Amino acid sequence: MSLLQADDITVRDGTTTLLAPVSLRLDPGEPLVVLGETGSGKSLLAQALMGTLPLGLEAKGQVTIGAQVLNSGAPDQFRGLWGREISVLPQEPWLSLDPLMRAQAQIAEGHCLVRGLPPREARIRAASDLSELGLADAAARYPHELSGGMAQRVAIAAARAGGARIVIADEPTKGLDAARRDEVANLLLNEMGQSGGLLIITHDLALAERIGGQLIVLRAGEVVERGATRAVFAAPGQSYTRDLLAANPENWTGKAAAAPAGTAVISSRNLSLARGRRTLFRDVSLDIAAGQVFGVTGPSGCGKSSLGDTLLGVIPPLQGQVQRQPGLHPFAFQKLYQDPVAAFPPRRTIGETLMDVVKMTRSDPRDVDRLLDGLGLQPDLLARRPGAVSGGELQRLSLLRVLLRRPAFIFADEPTSRLDPITQARVIKLLTNATESDGIALMLVSHDQALIRNTADAVLPLTPPCDPARAAAKKRVAIALQ
Amino acid sequence: MSVLDLSAAPQPPLSATRRVGVVLIALVAALSLLGPLIVQGDPYAQSLMKALAGPDAAAPLGYDHLGRSVFHRLAYALRLSPVIALAAVMTAGAAGLALGTLSAAKGGWIDRCLVMLADALLALPGLLLILMVLAMVPGTALGFWAGLSLVLWVEFFRLTRAATRETLASPAVQASRLLGFGAAYVFRVHIWPEIAPMMLTAAAFGTATAIMAIAALGFVHVGMRAPTPELGLMMVELLPYWREAPLALLAPVLATFALLLGLTLLAGSRKT
Amino acid sequence: MSAIVSRLVQALMVAILIGTATFVMMRSLPGDAAWRIAAGRYGYDNVDAAAADAVRAELGLDGPAHMALLQWLGDLVRLDFGNSLVTGQPVVDEIAHQLGASASLALVAVLLSLVIGPPLGILAGLRPGGRLDRALLVTSTGIKAVPQFLVALVLIVILAVQLRWLPAAGHGAARHFILPSLTLALGLAAVNARIARDAMARIADMPFWRFAQWKGLSERQTLLRHGLRNVSVPLITYLGLQFVTLVEGVIIVESVFGWPGIGHALVHAIFSRDVPMVQGTALVLGLGFVLVNAAIDLAIRHLDPRTAA
Repeated sequence: MSLLQADDITVRDGTTTLLAPVSLRLDPGEPLVVLGETGSGKSLLAQALMGTLPLGLEAKGQVTIGAQVLNSGAPDQFRGLWGREISVLPQEPWLSLDPLMRAQAQIAEGHCLVRGLPPREARIRAASDLSELGLADAAARYPHELSGGMAQRVAIAAARAGGARIVIADEPTKGLDAARRDEVANLLLNEMGQSGGLLIITHDLALAERIGGQLIVLRAGEVVERGATRAVFAAPGQSYTRDLLAANPENWTGKAAAAPAGTAVISSRNLSLARGRRTLFRDVSLDIAAGQVFGVTGPSGCGKSSLGDTLLGVIPPLQGQVQRQPGLHPFAFQKLYQDPVAAFPPRRTIGETLMDVVKMTRSDPRDVDRLLDGLGLQPDLLARRPGAVSGGELQRLSLLRVLLRRPAFIFADEPTSRLDPITQARVIKLLTNATESDGIALMLVSHDQALIRNTADAVLPLTPPCDPARAAAKKRVAIALQ
Repeated sequence: MSVLDLSAAPQPPLSATRRVGVVLIALVAALSLLGPLIVQGDPYAQSLMKALAGPDAAAPLGYDHLGRSVFHRLAYALRLSPVIALAAVMTAGAAGLALGTLSAAKGGWIDRCLVMLADALLALPGLLLILMVLAMVPGTALGFWAGLSLVLWVEFFRLTRAATRETLASPAVQASRLLGFGAAYVFRVHIWPEIAPMMLTAAAFGTATAIMAIAALGFVHVGMRAPTPELGLMMVELLPYWREAPLALLAPVLATFALLLGLTLLAGSRKT
Repeated sequence: MSAIVSRLVQALMVAILIGTATFVMMRSLPGDAAWRIAAGRYGYDNVDAAAADAVRAELGLDGPAHMALLQWLGDLVRLDFGNSLVTGQPVVDEIAHQLGASASLALVAVLLSLVIGPPLGILAGLRPGGRLDRALLVTSTGIKAVPQFLVALVLIVILAVQLRWLPAAGHGAARHFILPSLTLALGLAAVNARIARDAMARIADMPFWRFAQWKGLSERQTLLRHGLRNVSVPLITYLGLQFVTLVEGVIIVESVFGWPGIGHALVHAIFSRDVPMVQGTALVLGLGFVLVNAAIDLAIRHLDPRTAA
């Protein structure tokens, strides 16, 4: 018997259908992955199954959980199931823990108030939950004293404390690097075990592949394809699924052997950098030549972005030097940002901002039209404000703005980490094409090793700085292995 | 999220509540500026025969305890404190804006000293500062202007400094600087659009605070001196005659309330 | 640690500001300041030219202004506030006498406002845009637009003059507390309620609030375990800043109701140009702010472990 069965779930906003009828079933021990890009309706599906749709959206359809049959149009019915039948993993675990409560208490309250154990026993259970997850010494810590990965494990324990068999995880790997992503996948599969249910909502192809089980691919509120995850990944039946899989950086065709690099546009010698009292990295020496794509990768917090800012002269180095090729004008060194919305003045139209650059540089206004065309952008975007343009288009507009300056070097700081896979592939392609054809040195920073491996001519991997929490965790693993 | 969701229409310049505020202020201003043109009279002229008498053609709001026209005294009072308040808010706003951007842009010792001064002023009740300045500066109106400016600039300073610091640290400003734009462009395009809406809110609040302070000190006999028609002073003079001439007391009370409510509504929410 | 240092710096700056301002006030007084101070010390009957000259030499009143200012601030640092120019009593004794009356009034008002404001604000914040929220917004905006002397006036006219339920002025019995403390509390509650409402609405929109409910906690359990503590942090922080508003209210309300406290004394001192009293009361009020906020800093540190890090 299935743990959860949903029949013909629809979500509408007034007369607009946001999610066409979707049916699914969740079986014990067999995870279900709902894969889709932004706007595919995958989160709406999860919300309809949990009874947490935002006000104003209307759901229809039947949800059967165990022996209970619920109407997804009446979200109040679901409330009693939370924690007891369904547990929900939040997107951002470090924001989902009460900042003023210690870790153990946040787990114990589930055992006590939801499962109904006496307070003392609830505390003991919470402590054993924590030690099972390798977090015994985190019991008395507050959320801000936990690392991201620890917070994720505490959140999982807290979500499961009520005793629910079904776990719904909405984008559980948002913003995580590859190693942490696999860690979370293993943890979720472990929690599911043989008898639990696991429903994962994600846009992350690597996560979907890792989880396995059954797969539903959603696009614009419609099911595109469904089947066993392994089978779909091996032989996608629909063109959209093929595009989606091809957009995974793991599957990009590797870069052809690079021509020997010319003279360096920018280089560093024995660069060291610190944030506060913590040293981020030491003795980094690098040369980036015209037309070269120089990749920098590493986990979050390792100083990738700070390295780029130091090359641009925005952050002073602790030690070492940065040298620019002589003869270049001082503004030939430019940057692309992770969040392009934050990189534009919010209250001006994009056209106004671009014209400011044209006027200042005394360039030809027709350059804008030429570049729009080359980057595949519609001219009517210029009349909009930065907040009203999609992420992929705005990142291309940022590239356009930077190209107006005729740069010799561009530092691209995680330029596609907030984009969907297909858009990401397109933006990276345009970016590398533009820099190679104009002979611009590109420093591409990303936490995605596959992306860097398949894009860059040279790669600098940065290792994580010494983090006390991480060091402690490593030590424990080592002892366990003995 | 579709693109359409994000492209919300630009915010209208004035929300509904703010428009109500503007209407209230306009009504009070019309009473004060146009009223005496329609019904002419002297706010100082006494006529003890008419003390506490009800309204007539020459005095639409009746007479006070000295037989002066409440209407004309009110109209005059509604010019006096708003003018002082506006002058103080403009001085304080200009000083706060200049010092706040300076502090945020320069940092270092200038910033530390200005913040220290602002923090110390913040610890002192505004009325206390105004009272002390009043005791030093000759001329009550001048004293109010100086004292209120001294009290009010801190808020403008803090707002401007905080917003400017945040904006200067944003990727948008970093991008503009890398592209080669100068300080004037950064101020015009990045900083001012962030500050301007806050300035309107702070100015409306500041004006209301100033009018309240002038009236409150008048009410406890340490502000404007009799026989100057001033809102607080009029109320305290007429309070003992509440039973005989309720309209004479209600008129300044309601006008003050309307003016202050109008300013509070115009200020809108403090959230930014 | 740095928080304590910055509060100490603030206290020092407050003392310097007040000292300098009162010094300028002293110098701008009409007539012979030395004579007035001597009269304050020894009584008007006992003042002669010699006594005035002694004071003048002591305070450096005939010397250069900056020397005199240093002398003046030196007295301040030694906590030597001098005598009232009006009563001749030491300023310290006068203030000690009045502080109790003001503090008890302020305390009653703050407690009253906390009983009225935050509970309403929290209820409104749990249902933003609901009926209670809108009613509270209208009421608190209305009250905020009314200056406290006007609230006092309305309460006096209705409760004391028309209905004759309560005395309009006086001090001593419990019923004398009602009108002045209610006047102060209404203004404070109007703001408290908004702060609590905004904090509650913000917290109820945070991921941890939703997550607590997804864990299976009821709305009541979520509020008690994750709401109140989180709301109290911004609310208490704000109470510290509200101290200034409270003191301004106390100055006005004491004058209106004839309450024999420090605010009333301050107004009198300004009126009669009793500079030592002005300096003493202003210093007590300014340092009171710093002290209250230092205590609140400590309380917040205790409540919110993030600030202690």
